[in-house]
Amino acid sequence: MTVSVTPATFSYVAFDAELIRSIAAGLLAALGMADHDVTIDVDETTPLARISCTIDESIHVHVDSGAFEDTRKPRQQSETATATALGRVLLRARDRLVGGFGEAPPDKELSLAQVAAWETYCIGRLQRFGVPVNQQRWRYNFRNRHGFSDATDAAFEQIWTSDGLTWDQLNAISESAAASAHA
Amino acid sequence: MRKFFPVEELARDERFNKITMRDRMGDPRTALNVSNDAPAKRPTNLRLTPDRSDASDGARSLMHGIFVGEIQALEGAGRTCWDFETGTEAPFALKLDMARQCWDEARHVEISVKLSDWMGGEIGQYAENTVLFEAACSTDPVLRLAGVNRALEGLAIDVFTTMKEFGDLAGDPYLEFCEDWMLADEVTHVKMGSDWLRKITEHDPDRRKKALEFQSVVDKLFSYGGTRSESQESPIGLARRFRELAGFTDDEVDDIAQLSMQALNERKSAVAQARADQMRDAAAQFATSAAAE
Amino acid sequence: MADPYKPRAPFAPWDRRTLPGIFDVEESARRVGNYKWAEMKLFEALGGWVATVPELDVKMRLGTHCYKHAWHAELWHKRLPELREMNPERLTAPANDAMVRFVEAMTEPEAPEQTIEKLVGVYRVFIPRFIAAYTYHLNGTSEITDAPTVRSLKFILQDEFDDWRDGEMILQSLIETPEEASRAAAHMQQLEAIMIEAGGIAGVGTLGAS
Repeated sequence: MTVSVTPATFSYVAFDAELIRSIAAGLLAALGMADHDVTIDVDETTPLARISCTIDESIHVHVDSGAFEDTRKPRQQSETATATALGRVLLRARDRLVGGFGEAPPDKELSLAQVAAWETYCIGRLQRFGVPVNQQRWRYNFRNRHGFSDATDAAFEQIWTSDGLTWDQLNAISESAAASAHA
Repeated sequence: MRKFFPVEELARDERFNKITMRDRMGDPRTALNVSNDAPAKRPTNLRLTPDRSDASDGARSLMHGIFVGEIQALEGAGRTCWDFETGTEAPFALKLDMARQCWDEARHVEISVKLSDWMGGEIGQYAENTVLFEAACSTDPVLRLAGVNRALEGLAIDVFTTMKEFGDLAGDPYLEFCEDWMLADEVTHVKMGSDWLRKITEHDPDRRKKALEFQSVVDKLFSYGGTRSESQESPIGLARRFRELAGFTDDEVDDIAQLSMQALNERKSAVAQARADQMRDAAAQFATSAAAE
Repeated sequence: MADPYKPRAPFAPWDRRTLPGIFDVEESARRVGNYKWAEMKLFEALGGWVATVPELDVKMRLGTHCYKHAWHAELWHKRLPELREMNPERLTAPANDAMVRFVEAMTEPEAPEQTIEKLVGVYRVFIPRFIAAYTYHLNGTSEITDAPTVRSLKFILQDEFDDWRDGEMILQSLIETPEEASRAAAHMQQLEAIMIEAGGIAGVGTLGAS
């Protein structure tokens, strides 16, 4: 396993490439992905917090600096934010790699509701791996994409507590929640 | 207790991290599209709406901004009750209005805490920019009214309108409901400021001019980096209808719109320039090291 | 239905209000002027302190209470012309010099570590004195001739009791050690000594004794 981070030194933000690398390496080991190489490309010129990844022979993570930032201290790095952002994107990559998610559209073609459902699935598992997360943050995100209803909250709980879902199962829960909220 | 409290000493518990406008201006990053960026790299529409991919995080961050803004508005109105002698420096009725504003802002803090909780935010999760209180530090009560009630509370009208629309589109029953109530209060506060400004400076055109100039400066500061403007590149829009209800004339709203666009364009130019400088420096450094090799 | 033309007593049997009161118009106006001055000083101090206290719950409470006392001052301001005082500012005055010194001493704490002192001054000394002065006025004045004052007193007293309870509960939650209890007591004693000299919100005789 190799993890490379660009840039190696940051000028817009006070981030530590080695810290990013070690957090990623730790996550890869914990997620059983130690046989994968990862590149992490940080766009330090934007404070936005988008993160995405592409997979070929390696996993390539593209991330805006805001995703790793300590929001209390602008331009400083947060270990928790780094672990949460990387963890959720690596888990999504793992889902695609281990099977059961072959039917999932490419990242760019996922609807906002599908993204929210998949993130819920990733973050729920990440919490069980010991990464500290604020569940309400993700519940709110899920509600925004599926509607504010009891059915939505039940779907969120189901996804959050699940392991081993396939894409079809995940998508079915998401579609059912959205349909009942808008009924 | 002294008169005129310095912004640096605003009391906060350990969860908060205060930053100044200088800190914010020192951040060279921007989400805006500037000349050196590939067009596909940056979103061109940054308006905070539910269809933005980072909508929930954006809304949560803005809600925290509202929360700390309400604290500072509360503190500013409170200080106006204390800093000026009744009668000689500020009319009794003006101070009563400021006390009323204290209560309103205290309620807004309560609402914001509950809403933040609902949205998965935490107290002190984001840095607190103390620029709002700075606008409340003027030693002239009329300038303070212009800065706080017309500029700051005017910004609040824009922010609440954006959030109310966000809640409405997302179907969030709490957000839309609460923002609507807070918006009603803010319209009242702006109107209070407009009425007092007119009344106190009725026979003092110089003072009125100075107050309006100060408001302009504060309005531009609050639009820093294009945070608020009529462009879709700004997360927060300009709420023309509610501003009119609050007593702004069409010309005044046009002026704020223009100032905000100016702030947006200035920021884009500044970032483009900084990037160009950085690339030039990097090229020079590369050339030097290549020559050395 | 009873015959509408049959004479009825002007005061129902359960209406026990009586005509005489212990204040004439002039004395009532003097007291109301003292109340207004004291309520003004209180709302100004509460507003000023908001920025100085780090505790978020206290900050919000002070902001809320600030308005209530401003409203009380406004009620008294409006009552003064009805008590033959056409220049309300003339009677908007402290009861005496000791009352001025009391307000100065009460508003002296500013540091963020002095929330206990700030709250003790307001909720353990000043507001209990308001409750006492208003209750005395309410019980002593004519419920018929001075009905507008009585109405305001009832509204205001409700606020004072609510605010006192809020403030006292916050204090009890802030005072966690014997040292902090001593701090609170010492500050209270210092302020009470000045208040005794002042005689209460309306000066000597606030509660009737001369």
